[in-house]
Amino acid sequence: METVKLQVFRYDPEKDSSPYYKEYEVPVEGTLLNALLYIKDNIDPTLSFRAFCRSEVCGSCSMRVNGKVKLACKTSMKELVETWKGKPLRIDPLKHMNVIKDLVVDIDKPIEKMKTLIPWLVPDPRVVPTDPMHESIIYPEEMKAYKDQINCMLCFSCYSACEAVEDNSRYRGPFAFSRAYRFQVDRRDIETAKERRIRYSISGGLWSCVQCQKCLYVCPKGVKPAEDIQNLRGQAIKKGFTDKPGAKKLKHYVDWIYATGQINRLYLPEEVYGNKEAKDKLTKAFQEMGVEVWEVPKPTKGLMKFRDIYLEILSKEDKALDLDFSHVRKIDKMVSDIFKADICTIVDRVHEREDKAKGLIGKLKGLIGGK
Amino acid sequence: MVKIGFYQGCCFQGQDAHMFDTMKETFKKLDVELELLEETTCCGGNTIDEENRKLSYAINARNIALAEAKGLDMLISCNTCYMVIAKAKRALDEDRELRKEINKLLKEEGLEYRGTNKIYHLLDFFRDVVGYERIKKAVKRPLKDWKVAAYYGCHVLYPKEIAIDNSDNPSSLQEILRALGAEIIDEYEHKDACCGYHSFFTDKSMTLKKLSKILGSVKETGADIVVTPCPLCFKSFDIYQLNLEKPPMVPSSFLPELMAYAFGLDKRESGLGHHLVKVEKG
Repeated sequence: METVKLQVFRYDPEKDSSPYYKEYEVPVEGTLLNALLYIKDNIDPTLSFRAFCRSEVCGSCSMRVNGKVKLACKTSMKELVETWKGKPLRIDPLKHMNVIKDLVVDIDKPIEKMKTLIPWLVPDPRVVPTDPMHESIIYPEEMKAYKDQINCMLCFSCYSACEAVEDNSRYRGPFAFSRAYRFQVDRRDIETAKERRIRYSISGGLWSCVQCQKCLYVCPKGVKPAEDIQNLRGQAIKKGFTDKPGAKKLKHYVDWIYATGQINRLYLPEEVYGNKEAKDKLTKAFQEMGVEVWEVPKPTKGLMKFRDIYLEILSKEDKALDLDFSHVRKIDKMVSDIFKADICTIVDRVHEREDKAKGLIGKLKGLIGGK
Repeated sequence: MVKIGFYQGCCFQGQDAHMFDTMKETFKKLDVELELLEETTCCGGNTIDEENRKLSYAINARNIALAEAKGLDMLISCNTCYMVIAKAKRALDEDRELRKEINKLLKEEGLEYRGTNKIYHLLDFFRDVVGYERIKKAVKRPLKDWKVAAYYGCHVLYPKEIAIDNSDNPSSLQEILRALGAEIIDEYEHKDACCGYHSFFTDKSMTLKKLSKILGSVKETGADIVVTPCPLCFKSFDIYQLNLEKPPMVPSSFLPELMAYAFGLDKRESGLGHHLVKVEKG
């Protein structure tokens, strides 16, 4: 029978002065949870880990294999051996939480953090009947808005893998934001609670998420916390919380991409942090190395039609007014000053030039008898 | 000669236009012709999604459709552009209603998203289309005494649906470095940490903490340079590093630059000579 060595993190704070790894040889079959149960049943009954349902429902058995978060009951031993090409598998408890014993961690901290984001329904009396004899109906159509988020089983995989938790201890954690967002899109939840959730999300690190997508990767249930965080950020801005750098960054993206089809890195520091020197400093540094710096990208042929599509989508989503047209006009003026014509004329010229070139190629091909 | 549509995003223009020249030269040596997809726009940088996800899908349906109209597969170098466009492609392929709605808008420009072309990132393009052998053959100046730390960045590995390699234990970058003849350093403490590029304008302190950790642990290994296939990670390393209180001054490279250098271009032509944190080696 094929076997593999597991190096398992061991630590009993009541007995051990420091953690250590103990090696066990286990069969390469079934799941990682099977392997741990094998150790407990056949080799070492003192090993502690949490597990219950064995079928990806309870979320108890998440841990790390060679640093990567896995739900033990969902992780095939065969795949692990293939991934790590026969290397020993180091089994560690989840990160960012204190170890109680061996692979068992204390989940109180993330739970307490989650509670600060009001992850429960605050009923709007105009929608939810106060008389308990009346049902509060939710239609399948409404449930679509949070059908994935409600699958969170509090396994803390995302909390362990999170890059923001790693470097900001106040950060509430991916799952906490997903749970908060779930009520932000619930029709029965009262507006004042939604407002508070946003306020608390911001103080809980909403803008600290680095969007690394590790939470999407490790979630055994297909919840997409990083995307919920994006949605919460959008809501925050809609509710008028526009003073944070992240809100200004988004405004830069929305306006510049509409205006030129591109963001503009030279102007980002000024528009987000009010740093007017950055543009000149960066320009100078590159010029000194002989690199040419363009202040604005040259408008491309399809730009005006691109703008139509952009505006049409925003209008349909009732967001057209999020575009700051005075900002767009300023950008247009920069473009026309640099390229010495108004934006439409420039785009037309690009068009004309390309058509001419095409015509010329056609003629040449005609002359040499090609197609 | 393989021909592929090259999506530049925001990374290969403006002050970075020279990076496209490097790309073109590098690929020429591999017998690949890059056709610039000129009318494409910024992918939205995973930020437009905060404004509206459908807008992000529409922008990228248009970007993909421009490549499809030319009958070309699409090559993307930036990890984030790759992820955002690959996510959009998945959404458009899975949701017929969404596709229909967006195609109605694209029609005005004479475009249509069909979902017929492939989207490659540098790493899987080198692995699956070019092949490591061909890279090895193109090497004129093996990076024999270069100690190179490999750094993938996040958006080619996560989420799983769009990953181009084994997310837990990837190998494609090491394979390329091996073909270039470099000494590879792929075990260092913070190799999996995020480069912090995307939080520079949302939470700057986060970026600086990440950089200090990653580059600090690269420095400890004694590496000459850290290399990444993502131009954003590269910018974070080369430009944002200077915002640290005590910059470790770890030189970095965007992968095609290092390849160009190994293929015989000089430091200036390869782009390695244009860095803010000077590349001393070579």
